[in-house]
Amino acid sequence: MADKTRDTTTDGGVTADEEITQPLGLPRWVSALLPIVLLVLVLGVFAFTSPLAGVQSGEPLPDVTVTHTTLPSDETVVLHVTNNGPESVTISQVLVDEAYWDFRVEGAGGDQTLAPMESAQIVIPYHWNPGWDLEVALVLSDGATFHNTIVAPSQSPGFSLGLLGTLAVIGLFVGVIPVALGMLWFPYIKTMSDRWLHAVLLFAAGVLGFLAFDAGFEAFELAERVPGAYEGNLLVVFGIFGALLLVQAISAWREGRVAAGDSRASSGLWIAYLVAVGIGLHNLAEGLAIGSSFALGRVSLGAFLVIGFMLHNVTEGPAVVAPVARGKRPSLGHFAALGVIAGAPVILGGWIGSLAYSPTIGAFFLAIGVGAILQVDWEIARMVRDAGGRVASATNLLAFLLGLAIMYVTDLFVAL
Amino acid sequence: MPSLDYSSAADVTKRLEERLVESLTGETSVSRRTVLGGLGVAGSAAVGLGSSRAAASSDHDDEDDHGNFGAVGEYRDLDFDPHEFLTAFNTGGSGQDNVPQQVYEEDGRTVREFEFTAVDTTIAIAPGVEFQAWAYNGQVPGPTIRAVEGDLIRVKFTNLGRHAHTIHPHLKNLNPRMDGIPQNGPGVLDTGESFTYEWIAQPAGTHFYHCHSLPLKEHIHRGLYGTIIVDPDPERVRENPREYVNYPGPITDDFREQLVEEAKSRNHEYAENDAVNEMVMVMNSFDTNFDGGNEVYAANTRAFGYGVGDTDGEGNWTAGETKRPIQINKNERQRVYLSNATEFDLINSFHTHSQFFDYYDHGTTLTPTLKNVDTIMQCQAQRGIIEIDYSDHQPGLYMFHAHQSEFAELGWMSFFEVV
Repeated sequence: MADKTRDTTTDGGVTADEEITQPLGLPRWVSALLPIVLLVLVLGVFAFTSPLAGVQSGEPLPDVTVTHTTLPSDETVVLHVTNNGPESVTISQVLVDEAYWDFRVEGAGGDQTLAPMESAQIVIPYHWNPGWDLEVALVLSDGATFHNTIVAPSQSPGFSLGLLGTLAVIGLFVGVIPVALGMLWFPYIKTMSDRWLHAVLLFAAGVLGFLAFDAGFEAFELAERVPGAYEGNLLVVFGIFGALLLVQAISAWREGRVAAGDSRASSGLWIAYLVAVGIGLHNLAEGLAIGSSFALGRVSLGAFLVIGFMLHNVTEGPAVVAPVARGKRPSLGHFAALGVIAGAPVILGGWIGSLAYSPTIGAFFLAIGVGAILQVDWEIARMVRDAGGRVASATNLLAFLLGLAIMYVTDLFVAL
Repeated sequence: MPSLDYSSAADVTKRLEERLVESLTGETSVSRRTVLGGLGVAGSAAVGLGSSRAAASSDHDDEDDHGNFGAVGEYRDLDFDPHEFLTAFNTGGSGQDNVPQQVYEEDGRTVREFEFTAVDTTIAIAPGVEFQAWAYNGQVPGPTIRAVEGDLIRVKFTNLGRHAHTIHPHLKNLNPRMDGIPQNGPGVLDTGESFTYEWIAQPAGTHFYHCHSLPLKEHIHRGLYGTIIVDPDPERVRENPREYVNYPGPITDDFREQLVEEAKSRNHEYAENDAVNEMVMVMNSFDTNFDGGNEVYAANTRAFGYGVGDTDGEGNWTAGETKRPIQINKNERQRVYLSNATEFDLINSFHTHSQFFDYYDHGTTLTPTLKNVDTIMQCQAQRGIIEIDYSDHQPGLYMFHAHQSEFAELGWMSFFEVV
């Protein structure tokens, strides 16, 4: 780093050590804190003297979002609302199908006024009909209205052990079992030549790439229903980059360990675990979709749908085990762990989706899944390169394409 | 314009009909939306084939580039016959099988007693299109009640539907308990509850009854409405002629007799009434996709129910099995008891072709409130009597329909066939 020889510079000056000392001889922490102290002062002056008091023109517009609705009984409709605007809003009346109707506001501190960013439930005693759309409008104190249509209403399941059991069984069938079945290709993958193993890895990357787009579009779609103040789209972007960079940071830390001679960190097992985590996050989002469709009473889980999910997810098995096809076979315990990490989150997601459904949580989870998957694709490409393969060989490109194609085709069978 | 391939269009239609029938077993609105979407597809696939399927097989070979509008196919649901409904009057003494009824004397007054139930059912509103309805005695419109001025109408009402219902009569009713609203008397009747409504049949005229539960729009447009006809009592007319005319001048004996004669022709217990062909029509409409606007309009529930079966667009037509004109004898006086139950639209209307008629608003007068018109309009629950004379017309088809073109093309389009 810094050698103590003094370099003369071309202008005949010398580099001054004094330049790394602080002005006026103050300690370093003072210069760190000074801008912050000054900022607080300026803010204080601004707040107390209001130099821009005369500048404001017009009122900020009210903005209320109905994030989702639940129908706990056939005599009750519950709207979950959030105030996105910068000002408080008062929900003075509620219209159901263009008729003024009884309601009460719960969770807003006992009144009908929502502070900015405050959420509440509007409970409407209304004898709704299964399958008959309901149009609800909130009338604010200034007469502004916010509309929400409940399409084809059906009763929300609420919390029950039976439902959790059902979701666990569904998760087992659409997540854990297909992944485990897919992993059974391991002995065959082990016998492959490098060229074909790399093709399988790229096929897995194609599968994951498809899932990234699939979940990404879904996340942005869901983000539209996120209350405006939470900036749904930016939340998704943050989730994607956050997950990508976090997993990448862990990966970089691992490389540091390899350089330091930690043999465990250098194995393909590490990548296998990364792939499993990425797929697990994706499957968590898949579970969220299944669970929330239960919560919203939108479930048509026919045998066909389950079969579609199984075909879709069975391709995730080889993706998990391909990285450990070289070198020493990991213990069966590792395989079990990989399978559980990749598949079981469907069950967890199902529970979360059915119990604590909100578009915000849903979009964020999907985004995290996308970020994790993108990082895994990156990792797989590096793995092939490190093993002396060419990532963009014709075989590999076609394998990647095949991964995309197979996921697209099997995705057609899956429509919640 | 591509030439019509009739056989393939007919195939498409047939396939769509099958699909419609299949989809009707489903209960979700989605499937019903698909149904309606399918209808649209049918229309475009058949290049506006309309109802000329039979014409496709007939031997005219110059293609009709415009097609004919009208719903494709026949009705398969035979639970309700709009042609029977036209003349189905329940008087207590006689009436429909699904309306238990009797007539007896009580304290010197004629009592006409009916048993009404409210049920949830499914009705056909266009060929292959079903509608989840709430219905009095399982039919939409509800049964037509017919009484004479001063009778007691007693309706033993039981609610078997999933929702709470009432019956609210548009009669001069002096007892608030009998008004059939949530705030009075028994209030709304929950599933399984019963109540006996009693109303004095007054004033003479054609009246309306409907459910008054909330939400009103839903309870009315799902089908809980019908007609109450109160025949004028000729004896009472003789005593109080002024009550039956909107006319301040002197009542001569001739005029009085004329009013009594008119009352006799209106009263189903008099022979004079037999010379008149009387029909009940309830203009109604249906919102199948929950958007607060109607997809189907009709007189008596069935889109194009009184339309022709098939036409080649060149004056040749055939009556269908379920879609056929109302045949009328040109030498009989025609009387239509018309009411409007349409929800979501401000007004509905009734227009006759080649014909001017007399209209008695609410039917409460024995002289016309509108003389010589060919179009009248009614707001919801408004009703009246239309008297039509085809005696000097040539035999053949005479159209009548709503003169909101939109309503007509969505089903409220009908024909009299004068023979």
